[in-house]
Amino acid sequence: MKYFRKHSKKKNTAMAAGILISAALFVVMMIGIFYTPYESSKMNGAEKFMAPCIRHLMGTDNFGRDIFSRVLEGLGTTFFVAVSVTLFGSLFGVLLGAVTGYFGGIIDEILMRINDALVAFPSILLALVFISIFGNKVYQIILALGIIFIPSFARIVRGEFIRQKELDYVKSARLMGAGHVRIMFLHILPNTLPALLSAITVGFNNAVLAEAGMSYLGIGVQPPDASLGRMLAEAQGYLFSAPWYALCPGVVIILLILGFSLINEGLGA
Amino acid sequence: MKQIGKKTITLIITLLLISLAAFLAFQVIPGDPSLSVLGMDATEQQIAAYQKQMGLDRPLPVRYVSWVLDFVRGDLGESYHYGTPVSGLLGDKLPVTLALTVVSFLFILGLSIPFGILMARFADTRFGRLMNVINQTLMSVPSFFLGVLLILLFGLMLKWFTPGEYISYTESMTGFLLYLIAPAAAIAIPKTAMVIKFLRSSVLEQKKKDYVRTAYSKGNTDNRVLFIHVLKNSCIPVITILGMIIADTMAGSIVVEQVFNLPGVGRLLVSSIGYRDYPVVQAIIVYIASAVVIVNFIVDMLYRLADPRIREE
Amino acid sequence: MGNMLEVRNLEVSFPDETDRIEAEPVNRAVKGISFSMKRGEILAVIGESGSGKSMTALSIAGLLPETAASSGQIVFDGCDLMALTKKERKAIQGKEISMIFQEPMTSLNPVMKVGKQVEEVLRLHTKLDKTERKKLVLKALEDAGLDQPEKLYHSYPHQLSGGMRQRAMIAMAMILQPQLMIADEPTTALDKRIQDQILALLKEINAKKQMGILFISHNLEVVKDFCDRILVMYEGKVVEEGTPEEIFYHPREDYTKRLLASIPEGKRTIGTAHTNRKKVLSVEHLNVYYPEKGGKLKQVIYDANFAIYEREIVGLVGDSGGGKSSLSKAILGLNIHTDGVIQHNTEHPQMVFQDPYGSLNPVRSIGWILEEPLRIQRKLTKKERREQVQEMLERVGLDKSYLTRRPGELSGGQRQRVGIALALILKSRFIIADEPVSALDVTIQAQILSLLKELGKEYGLSYLFISHDMAVINEMCDRILRLEDGRIYEEK
Repeated sequence: MKYFRKHSKKKNTAMAAGILISAALFVVMMIGIFYTPYESSKMNGAEKFMAPCIRHLMGTDNFGRDIFSRVLEGLGTTFFVAVSVTLFGSLFGVLLGAVTGYFGGIIDEILMRINDALVAFPSILLALVFISIFGNKVYQIILALGIIFIPSFARIVRGEFIRQKELDYVKSARLMGAGHVRIMFLHILPNTLPALLSAITVGFNNAVLAEAGMSYLGIGVQPPDASLGRMLAEAQGYLFSAPWYALCPGVVIILLILGFSLINEGLGA
Repeated sequence: MKQIGKKTITLIITLLLISLAAFLAFQVIPGDPSLSVLGMDATEQQIAAYQKQMGLDRPLPVRYVSWVLDFVRGDLGESYHYGTPVSGLLGDKLPVTLALTVVSFLFILGLSIPFGILMARFADTRFGRLMNVINQTLMSVPSFFLGVLLILLFGLMLKWFTPGEYISYTESMTGFLLYLIAPAAAIAIPKTAMVIKFLRSSVLEQKKKDYVRTAYSKGNTDNRVLFIHVLKNSCIPVITILGMIIADTMAGSIVVEQVFNLPGVGRLLVSSIGYRDYPVVQAIIVYIASAVVIVNFIVDMLYRLADPRIREE
Repeated sequence: MGNMLEVRNLEVSFPDETDRIEAEPVNRAVKGISFSMKRGEILAVIGESGSGKSMTALSIAGLLPETAASSGQIVFDGCDLMALTKKERKAIQGKEISMIFQEPMTSLNPVMKVGKQVEEVLRLHTKLDKTERKKLVLKALEDAGLDQPEKLYHSYPHQLSGGMRQRAMIAMAMILQPQLMIADEPTTALDKRIQDQILALLKEINAKKQMGILFISHNLEVVKDFCDRILVMYEGKVVEEGTPEEIFYHPREDYTKRLLASIPEGKRTIGTAHTNRKKVLSVEHLNVYYPEKGGKLKQVIYDANFAIYEREIVGLVGDSGGGKSSLSKAILGLNIHTDGVIQHNTEHPQMVFQDPYGSLNPVRSIGWILEEPLRIQRKLTKKERREQVQEMLERVGLDKSYLTRRPGELSGGQRQRVGIALALILKSRFIIADEPVSALDVTIQAQILSLLKELGKEYGLSYLFISHDMAVINEMCDRILRLEDGRIYEEK
C-alpha cells in the first residue's frame, strides 16, 4: 500500500465507496457459489411473476424461477469472465508493452501498427466475430475477449515504459551494470503500477460490459450457465408487467461497474 | 504537410491490415462454407463446381487481392442466407445506423461541453460534488440497460413513444428521427458522462498552469480566464478521446439497435452471426472498422489544427 | 516623494495544507512582515525556498492561491489593496501592478499568439481601437529588445526561445507603464548570458520609465549590482534590510552571513593537468551523435580529445543544449551513437545526476537502491552488502533510519547525498557530476559541494564536473574544459 501513501492522509471518498461496493458484491458472489436460496433453474408454475417479497428477494420470473438466485449465479459468471479476461489481457499486455516500449525500434513499429488496426475494431464487434468463428463456450469467450483486451494494456504499459526509460534512475541502473530484463521488471515495472492499476479497473469494467452486452444479444454465455445480460434480454418482454425482472440484473451490473470506476477515480485522486 | 502525408500512408496501411485481418479470420473458420450453402448432403462434384464458381480454388493471396478489389468496387459478395448481394442488404441498413451514430454523437458533443465547463466551474462546491456523483453513476450504466430503462419510463409509463414501432425514414423523416431520440440517448448518456468527466478534469488541470496566473496578473476576470484562456487548452486533450468515443458509439449501436428493434447494421450483424452468414459479417466488420479508422484520422487532423505546437512539426 | 508601496504586518498562511508528506519544509507562510518601496526603486527580496518571498510577491500582485489566508495591509499609491473589492483590484492588476514569472516556457498561453497575449492587457484596461492597440504592442515588443516585432506578433510561444518569451512577458508587463513590476525569479530558468541581458533590460526600463521593480530571487549574487535595496527573508520573516553595500560588506545577521558564505568564492588555483599522474579517462577523436525525431542523427560533439588524471576535478562548461549531457552519456557508455576511443581506467564510472528527484527510483527504499549495485555484482553476502550500504550512507551524512525511507520522503539535499553514496558504493574512482547542485538551495549547495570535495580527497576520486555556474566551477575545479559549438577547448 506504499504507493497510496500520498492519498492516505486525504479523505479518499471515491476509493472507499468503490472498495465498499466491490467488496460487498464480491462477498455476495462468493456466497452465491456455495448457497443460493433456490435452485436457480427450478421452475415453479404457481409462483410466476411474483413481485419482490421476503421469500423471493427480487421476485420471480416468467417460469416462476427465483430471480435473486439467478442473479447470484449470473454475477458469478460475469465476475469469473471479467477477472479472467483482465488477467489474461493484462499479463500479455504488460509483457508486450514492456518489451516494445523499452526496446522500441522496428518490432515496436510493427506491433503498434497492428495495435492501431485492432483498436479500430470496437471490442464488442471483435468479440462477436471471434465467437462466431470459435464458438461461445465460457472459455472461448474468455480467450476471445482476453486477446481483444491485450492491445489496450500493451498501449498503456508501452507509454509508461517509454516515459520511464528516459528518467535518470534508469540510467543510474544501467551504470550499476543492471541487465535489460532486470531494469525492465525490477526497476521500471513497479513504477508503472499506478497506471497499470487504473488500466486494470477500466479493463475489468469493459470486460463486464462486453460479457453482459454479448449475452444480452444472445451470443454470449449459453444456458445452462446463468448470465445477467441474457436475463435482461428475457425480461424485456415483460417490462411493463414485471419491471423488477429487468431492473434487478441491470442494477447489479451498474453496481459492479460503478464499484470499479470509483476505485479508478480514487486511484487518480 | 509532411506529417499529413505520413499519417495518410499510415491510414492506408491500417485499412489494408483491417481488410487482411477480416479476410484471414474467415479463412480459418472450421467447416466448409460451401457446405453451409449447399447443405450437408452435397456431392463432391457439386462442391467442386461451387468452389470453382466462387473462385475458392485459387491460392489465398490471389483471393485476397481480388476480394479487396471487389470490395473497393462495391461488390461485397453474396449472402449465404438470403442469396442476395451483400451490398443490397447493407444498403438500407447503413443509413439507420449512420443516423443513430450521428445523432448520438451530436448528443454527446452538445451536452458534454457545457456540462463539463459547469462542473469544473463548481468543482469545489457541494453542488459540484453532487453533480460528480451523478455523473460517475451515469458513466456506469450500460447503454443496453439504459435503453431498457428509457423504454420502461418514457415508452411504457409516460407513453411518449411506442417501443418497437419503428418508423422508417422512407415513411416519415421526422417520425424516424423522433424514434431515434431514445436509442441515441441510451448510447450517448454514458459516453457524455465520460466526456464530461474528462473535460472537467482537463479544465481543472489547466487552471493550475502558469499561463493562467499570467492571465490573472493582467487583470482578467474569472470568466475571461476560463473562456478565453483555459477552454481552448482544455479541449485539445478532449479531441484525442473523441475517436475512441466514436468507436464506442458504433459499438453501442450494435447492441442498442437490438433493444429498440431498429433495423440497422447491428441487428443485421447479430442475425448474420446466428445464421453463420460470413460474407455479410465480413462486410460489416470491414465497414465499421474502416469508419472508425477514418474518423480517427479526421480527429487526428483536427487535433493538429487545434494545437499550434503540433501543427508546426 | 512618498512611498509607492507600503506593506504592513503582512501574514499569509495555508490552513488547509496540514497534510503535506514531503520531508522538505514547504513552509510557504509569511509571518508578519513590513517594508516599503519608493517610486522607481528596485527592491530585491532574497530568500531560499520556503522563505515566503514568493508569497509576499503574490500577495501584492493579488494572485495568492485560493487556499491561502492573508491579513495585514498592502498600501499601494495611498489605498489598501487588501480592502479593495475583487473588481477594484482587477482594475489595478496589469495596469498599475504587473508581474513576470520564473518559467517563461510555461507562463504564456500555448495556444494564443504572442501579439494577442500582449494586446490583451490593452483590451482589458484601455479603450483604444484595434490599430492603436497593435501599434502599441509592436512598440512594446521592440522596447523589450525583440527584433522583428511584426513577425513575433503572429508567432505562438513555442516558436520563441526562453529568453525571447521572457522579453515578451516583459513587454506585456510594461506596456501600460505600471508603477510597479513584480519580477519573481525572472532569470533563474535562463542561461547566464541571457540572464545578464534580461537584467540589463529591466534596469533600462526602470531608468527610462521610472517603474519600480520588486525583484524576487534566491540568488544574492544576481542582484548585487542591480538593485537599490535588499530585503533578506528567512522562514517567513524579514531578517535584514539594507543597501547592497551594507548587505554584502557589513551583514549584521547570522543568516545573511551564512547566505554570503555559501556563495562560491571562485578562486582559481591550478590551471594545468597532472600529466605525471595516471589517467583515469582518455578520450580520443570522439564524435557523438544525437538521434533527432524521425531517426536522423545530428552530430553534437566533433573530434573531442582530452584526458582526466587521478585525483583531479575537471570542470566542463558550455551553453545549455550544447551537448554537455550527450558527451557525458557517451563517456559512460549510455549513448550508442558514438565513434572514437573512450578508455576508462576504472571499472564502473558513475554519475551524480542533476535532478535528485528523478535519479532515484521513486518506488524503492533508499536501502534497496543502494544495495542494488552490490546485488548485481553478486560478490558479497547479504550481510556484507547491508554493512557496506550502511557504512556508505553514514559516510555521506545520513543515519541508518534512512534505509527504509523512499526518495519522496527526503529533501533535495538528502537525495543528492544518496545519489553520491550510490555513485561511490561500487568503489569507482571516476565520477561525472552533472550539474549536481543546480537544483538545490544555495546553503544546501555549499554543503553538497564540500561533501564532494571531501570524499574526493578521502577516496582519491577524479571528477568531471559539469556546471553552468562559473562560480561553482571555479571553486571546485583544478582545470576547465569548455564545450563550444560541439568542440572541446582546454581553458588556460
